[in-house]
Amino acid sequence: MPAVSIVLAGVVGGLFALGTFLVLRRDLVRVVWGVAVLTQAANVYLISMGGVREGTHDLVPVLAAHGGAVPRTADPLVQALVLTAIVIGFGTTALALVLTYRAYEENDTMNVQEWQ
Amino acid sequence: MSPQLSVVVAAVGLPFLAAGATPLAARRLGDDTGYAGAAVALTCFALVATQLGRAGTASAAWIPSLDAAVRVTVDGWSLLFALLASGVGVVVFAYSARYMHGEDGLARYYGTLLAFMGSILGVAFAADLVLLFVFWELTSVCSFVLIGHETEDAAAGYSARMAMLVTVGGGLALLVGVLLLSTASRGAFGTATFDLAAMLADGGAMRAALRESGLFVPALALFAVAAGAKSAQVPLHFWLPNAMVAPTPVSAFLHSATMVKVGVYFVGRIRPLFLSPEWTLLFVTVGLATMTVGAVLAVASTDIKQLLAYSTASHLGLMVAGFGFGSALGAEAGVFHLLNHALFKAALFLVAGVVAHQAGTRYIHDLGGLWRGMPFTAGIAAVTGLSMAGVPPFNGFYSKEFLFEAAYGAAAAGGGLAWLLPATAVLASVFTVLYSLRFLSVFFGGRPADLGRIERPHVTLVVFPGVLAVLAGVIGIAPGLAVEAIVGRAVDATVLAPVEVHAGLPDHVTPPVVMSAVAILAGVGAYPFVGRIEDAVETATRTATPVRPNWWYDRLLDGTEATGERLGPVVHNGLLRTYATWVVAVAAGFALLGYLATGAVPLPGTGAGPWVAVDWPGVPPAMALVLAVAAAAGVAVTAASSHVAGVLTLSILGFMIAIFYILASAPDLALTQLLVETLVLLVFLLVLEELPEFYADLEVGRTVRDAALSVAVGGVAFLTVLLAAPQPAAEQTRIARYYVEQAVPAAGGTNVVNVILVDFRGFDTLGELLAVSVAAISVLVLITMRNRGETG
Repeated sequence: MPAVSIVLAGVVGGLFALGTFLVLRRDLVRVVWGVAVLTQAANVYLISMGGVREGTHDLVPVLAAHGGAVPRTADPLVQALVLTAIVIGFGTTALALVLTYRAYEENDTMNVQEWQ
Repeated sequence: MSPQLSVVVAAVGLPFLAAGATPLAARRLGDDTGYAGAAVALTCFALVATQLGRAGTASAAWIPSLDAAVRVTVDGWSLLFALLASGVGVVVFAYSARYMHGEDGLARYYGTLLAFMGSILGVAFAADLVLLFVFWELTSVCSFVLIGHETEDAAAGYSARMAMLVTVGGGLALLVGVLLLSTASRGAFGTATFDLAAMLADGGAMRAALRESGLFVPALALFAVAAGAKSAQVPLHFWLPNAMVAPTPVSAFLHSATMVKVGVYFVGRIRPLFLSPEWTLLFVTVGLATMTVGAVLAVASTDIKQLLAYSTASHLGLMVAGFGFGSALGAEAGVFHLLNHALFKAALFLVAGVVAHQAGTRYIHDLGGLWRGMPFTAGIAAVTGLSMAGVPPFNGFYSKEFLFEAAYGAAAAGGGLAWLLPATAVLASVFTVLYSLRFLSVFFGGRPADLGRIERPHVTLVVFPGVLAVLAGVIGIAPGLAVEAIVGRAVDATVLAPVEVHAGLPDHVTPPVVMSAVAILAGVGAYPFVGRIEDAVETATRTATPVRPNWWYDRLLDGTEATGERLGPVVHNGLLRTYATWVVAVAAGFALLGYLATGAVPLPGTGAGPWVAVDWPGVPPAMALVLAVAAAAGVAVTAASSHVAGVLTLSILGFMIAIFYILASAPDLALTQLLVETLVLLVFLLVLEELPEFYADLEVGRTVRDAALSVAVGGVAFLTVLLAAPQPAAEQTRIARYYVEQAVPAAGGTNVVNVILVDFRGFDTLGELLAVSVAAISVLVLITMRNRGETG
């Protein structure tokens, strides 16, 4: 019986749990890690929505030639979404890190519970 | 003849354009901006006047999918209101030039006044409910700005906010009512529309559709709230006297002649659609109550502007009550009084402005015998004041007589309790006569000893109210002229079948004539006791605090503010973990609730069969291995004892995900991920060098709580993948298929993902680039500008 992969589901669920736990920490750097882990988890989740199967030459969404019949490829739309998400995630992480640095400069502490 | 859309749009648009140019004009012209504004108003008046004699609807497309359009309707009723607004506008602008001499904020004053005039003209002509709502709310906003003209004055701020809350709140009722009408129009016409003209043209079908859907009474009630708030009907009248802190020309223009009449105008407009026993009950009750309460409170007023404000509410009540009556006479009362009241009340306000300007006080007990110092002003006050009292042969008499006739007719037909209607109308009129005499005592009563010498007012302050008084006087002598010119056709738009309007002095004694005589005689007879009546009313309102709507308004507002102050710190406590907890818990909780509610996940113990087929491992072994390493790296990040260890394990996680992308047939993602992971690692290491290591004791309770929440969130994510991921045998989605097939023919590229990003969804990518650029600029600013632009 064809079915959904429990490994994929387990990894997405596990990464979401770990990311959430990190976001709730008091150390701001760990909060940023948490955001990064959640981003990765969300990306894997999106890919799983397109269906994950044993890789073949035809499955890669790069067509062999101009013209002719096109093969059934992996879902290009989720890949485009995730590509955008990776780049945005980079921007977010970089900004969060610099904010962390600046917040430390202003508050002299990394503990988010002690901020005024 | 059908109306000319371009002319109507020009008349409505011109004031807005002029408002935009006002800041420049005010800098150059100074006080003379008032005359420029008068010229604009005069142009609008002329443009509107060209449409006299035309009737019908014209439109231009706006939002075809909703059937909302720039629709204008031209008939007697809209022309009357538009001519009134632009005509009184001419007078008010010209009067302001002298009155506002040397004041601050002239650009704001004149700009808002112009925008207001445009909005009023928009309300008059709008035949589309969406358009009507927009202009309706614009008038409220302009009124807010003008009431709060003295920005430093706390009372002005309080009053402006009150007017805004009440009238805009009423506007929201209008919006809901409009949506109900649009919904009902689907039943009448097959498609939903916002075309008010079409609804009025096919009133029978609309009424049937409204009745059938049960929306008739709700829509009627909502429109009554909207009109009541705008037109200061009891119990929403309390904002109007407060609005008198505005400069006097504003009071004359907005708060007597035009804006407060928007509600009345709308009531007249929808009267043919809604006329029914419910309509009569609602509007006659509200109107007569307002008429009486306003008149009684006017008698107790000690400030001439406040007296005029309560009197305005009272007269608005007269118009609303008139429109409430089912007979055509009622509509005649509403329409004719709209014109008469605008003429005499605008003039009276301007006269009050002259008195305040010259005598330096508006307190009635400090004023008296002013006719010696300003005979012309006193003459204007006499004509318009007697008109306000409804004394023949002044113009207010005729429209009030129509109301008496309508009330008497309703009572004769209804019998019993219906006799209360003419009785109430007469009672209110007695008080009307009383406060009108009170106002006139300022000019003709005994002169208080300590009143200083009064300078004769500047001619420009007297001539413009004089114009209005002459018009009022002419209508008083020859009411047939006004009926002929416009009132007759205006009445036709508010009744079901055209009627012949007759206005004139009575030539024989009828019950309504007796009612008028009783009101005038009783009012004059009670005048010697006005001081005692004033004291009694004053005591009554002071002791009966809880029936004053103003008191409720203050309590409601204070309560809201206090609640906000208490709630704010609780919700917004500044702790990141509180926000994160609420966000993830609510998101996960709602997702789970959704799964349970739709039966996607059966409740445990209900004995449902296997609800999802899972496969072990379900992915190729290599992929399973990579994912397992990624998960292990995730655990290592969480358990990392130092920042450096955490960053390195985070990188392992990222690189494993990159390999996962390769195995999942996504080479572009893998390339991007590898590049980004490398950069992130470098940025992390650079920043960490500047940050101290963080050590904290693990609090067991908090850790357990966080772990439980995290497991719950992870569990919901796990369920989501199981429920939402496609079966491996599933077909490619239609949209994915489209992109794959069209990549070469439509976009000329073989790499489908690239083609989607730069071609099919090119603008999305542009937005993404913008987001990344903003992030880069923010990073730069945060690093380089620490000590610039802020202290400490």
